[in-house]
Amino acid sequence: MSTESTVPKRRYWALNGEDARRMCTAIVGGLVLAIMTGPEGAISDPTYGVKTSLLTGHVVGYFIFGVVLGCLLTYRAKVKDGTWRRVRTARRRTMSERVTAFSSIWRYAFLAVTTFLVALISLIFADFSGPVTRNKMSVHVLEHQFLYTRTYGYLVLAVALWFVVVNQVMQLSSFKLRSLPRPVLGLSAIIAILLFSLTSDPFLPARFSWRALDPHASNSLFHHWTTYLWLILGLAVTISWLFRRDPIDGAKPARRSRALAVTPEMRIITYVAAGFIVFEAPKYLSLYWQISLYQQIGVFCLLAIGLNIVVGFAGLLDLGYVAFYALGAYVTAYFSGALPLHPPFQLNPFFIIPFAIIIAMLSGVLLGLPTLRLRGDYLAIVTLGFGEIVYVLANDWTQVTYGSAGTGAITNFNVHLLGINYVWNPVNPLSYYYLMIGILIPAIFLFDFLNHSKVGRTWAAIREDEVAAQSLGINALKYKVMAFAMGASTAGVAGVFTAVKVGHLFPNTFVLQLSITILVLVIFGGMGSIVGVLFGAIVLQWLPSYLNFHSYFGYQQADLYLYIGALLVVMMIFRPQGLVPSRRRRREILDAEEGLGSADALGAITQEQPS
Amino acid sequence: MTSADPIFEVKDVTLRFGGVTSLNNVSLNQERGEILSVIGPNGAGKTSLFNCLTGVYLPQEGSITFHPTQTKAIKIVGRAPHRVAQAGVARTFQTSRMFNALTTFENVKIGVEAHQKTGPIGAMLKLPRTRHEEKFSDQRSHELLEYVNLTHRTNTLASSLPYGDRRRLEIARALGTDPKVLLLDEPAAGTNPSEKLALAELISRINTELGISILLIEHDMKLVMSLAQRLIVLNFGGVIAEGTPQEIQENPLVIEAYLGASDEATQ
Ligand SMILES: Nc1ncnc2c1ncn2[C@@H]1O[C@H](COP(=O)(O)OP(=O)(O)OP(=O)(O)O)[C@@H](O)[C@H]1O
Ligand SMILES: [Mg+2]
Repeated sequence: MSTESTVPKRRYWALNGEDARRMCTAIVGGLVLAIMTGPEGAISDPTYGVKTSLLTGHVVGYFIFGVVLGCLLTYRAKVKDGTWRRVRTARRRTMSERVTAFSSIWRYAFLAVTTFLVALISLIFADFSGPVTRNKMSVHVLEHQFLYTRTYGYLVLAVALWFVVVNQVMQLSSFKLRSLPRPVLGLSAIIAILLFSLTSDPFLPARFSWRALDPHASNSLFHHWTTYLWLILGLAVTISWLFRRDPIDGAKPARRSRALAVTPEMRIITYVAAGFIVFEAPKYLSLYWQISLYQQIGVFCLLAIGLNIVVGFAGLLDLGYVAFYALGAYVTAYFSGALPLHPPFQLNPFFIIPFAIIIAMLSGVLLGLPTLRLRGDYLAIVTLGFGEIVYVLANDWTQVTYGSAGTGAITNFNVHLLGINYVWNPVNPLSYYYLMIGILIPAIFLFDFLNHSKVGRTWAAIREDEVAAQSLGINALKYKVMAFAMGASTAGVAGVFTAVKVGHLFPNTFVLQLSITILVLVIFGGMGSIVGVLFGAIVLQWLPSYLNFHSYFGYQQADLYLYIGALLVVMMIFRPQGLVPSRRRRREILDAEEGLGSADALGAITQEQPS
Repeated sequence: MTSADPIFEVKDVTLRFGGVTSLNNVSLNQERGEILSVIGPNGAGKTSLFNCLTGVYLPQEGSITFHPTQTKAIKIVGRAPHRVAQAGVARTFQTSRMFNALTTFENVKIGVEAHQKTGPIGAMLKLPRTRHEEKFSDQRSHELLEYVNLTHRTNTLASSLPYGDRRRLEIARALGTDPKVLLLDEPAAGTNPSEKLALAELISRINTELGISILLIEHDMKLVMSLAQRLIVLNFGGVIAEGTPQEIQENPLVIEAYLGASDEATQ
């Protein structure tokens, strides 16, 4: 790749025929989506669906989608072939570098436009249970949106968050959040927190909840002690922010590393927000959401961080992950006496957990030892087969599993200790949720320690170059089996949690599609990054529940995989490293994209070699 | 040549790939503490010999014995590469194989840690031994980076290192495993003259200060002649000459092999 040979070019904005074609395709694609998701035609007027889709507010969102997609594709194409770059640089510029390269006018314009977009998006989602459950994009609803207080809460939050993000990541150095007057900052933080707590008022529909601010009202916000807790935390954050010491001048770290730097107050804000969301928010949710929080999100978070060890840390493609999940669940059924085979002793589910861990781990080792010598694709096929074997056994081996009829009743979580007698109640999903949190949070920390330890580094080394790793004395097989076994045991625990909550197991819970879903969570969130994977699990498991609940955009459950597939395709084009990638993984993908860089170095050897 | 205290004993090793014979009845000995150089035209089988010595290739015939200490003998043939490395054989590669997405420091640290005992449980719970080992490996990695003069690159990604630095990083990583013998496959390829000089100095320091035996493949004759105590010349998979630099330079077979090779190259 010769960098000097190209003459510096002027920016060349002219669009050509190909760009127009690309744009049209994208817009037409958007319109087609609009028609697809619109109402259906009727026998009397078959064009009804198309007409309504294209002539009402419904089309606006998809049109914007088409335009944005077209612009993005054009931008990518232009940047890739170098037309839109002043000077060709050997290294691809990062997003933050591109933005900071704008002149200040453009920088403000960028900020304004993105803020507007963020606000718009937050508006669309702000009303979780609005009066009109049809298309949120229609102007009519947008207008009404402003009558609801929670709209303002989300607006302020969205804009504030966006500013923080823009400041931290894009380093718009001339427009620092901190350059705003400090009282304004403090005040807006407090307002944001107040408005945000308004939205979590459990008794009132949020749109009327200005009343909740009235201390005399029976259901006032101020009757909840948690409100005070959050206010205090909010104040603490604000104060720590206001009185933070500015870094010493002249000791500024390099630009690139500053983009990645996490400031202390960002960390505090993150912890506070995470704490609120994890411990408090669920209390205010409806039963539907509490159930899906445990069964759809919690269990899948556990599964995803487990699979992340295998796929993300060790770089092994496992398509039969659900087998270990099934194993954990059926072990629970076995020790509860819910299978035709009777156990030597029945166990409390809490004591089943270690058994599930050990059995899943052993099966992981047994499967791993012979198969992990295989290269990637073969491993995927073998694990796929294993997943199917377990499913077929669960389904057809009726003497052991009751087959498709489902197992008997599985014992619930219960504690009878030192005078405490508590049985988890299926009617109260939160009791399970907190138990799950009790497993999930330690698991997150332990796995994070693991990733940043010798073991994690060794996995990275094996992923990068197995031959080199072995030349250092690393037993690659041992480490792969280790990853496999740890992933398996995590799935085993998730199996116990599912079995206990569901009460009866059916084999068709453990189909191949579930393995793929979990893999999608990991890839979508960002392989190798625990935060990313959790994020992926939460977003992708929440979205179907949400759409299902409201049936927005003509959503039907059967279409789920269509949308997830489309989402993945878009992701792989624009962000192959996942939403919140790990640092290492991002670098690996960058290296792969810049394959030319190392080819350059190879060229140098051949030149210097005497022959 | 009688060998009182050999570190490597290679006897009649033959390695074939289908119809190609990469190594043909190769026998050689390396003394403990010696810098032995293997030279030969392209395709002579030098890298194949290294791969046999490190357990990566399984020769069809012959035996290779490694003596980590005077009294111990380890059969290399049939032993997995990582176990050969654990026994004390470290190597670098002809085309450098870094862990590109990791930093220079992490690269070296992986080498040091490869021989530590910490397992997954210890790592997750940060048990005392893990912390102790981690402290050791941090310190050792810094020392090694200083030893190869890469301290200023500690936090640079391996993929963005210049070529000469990559070579030295690979050496530091190999040294991290605390080897008895270091196998260097064309370490000076692609480096500029001043880097070459520094590299030669580094190699002889490793040999004299750390007492590590060195087996060196190199095409740069000046470097080889200045460093090596003894040379072995391979051509078409067979040993054609063996001796001191002086003897090799005057050996007609060697001169012919090199001239013949360049004839082939020009055709
Ligand atoms: N894995 C393999 N499969 C097939 N043939 C191989 C393999 N490895 C080496 N060879 C063959 O063995 C012969 C010797 O190769 P080798 O790489 O050892 O040469 P070399 O002396 O290191 O050459 P160079 O100076 O170019 O590095 C070559 O003919 C090569 O094609
Ligand atoms: Mg070679």
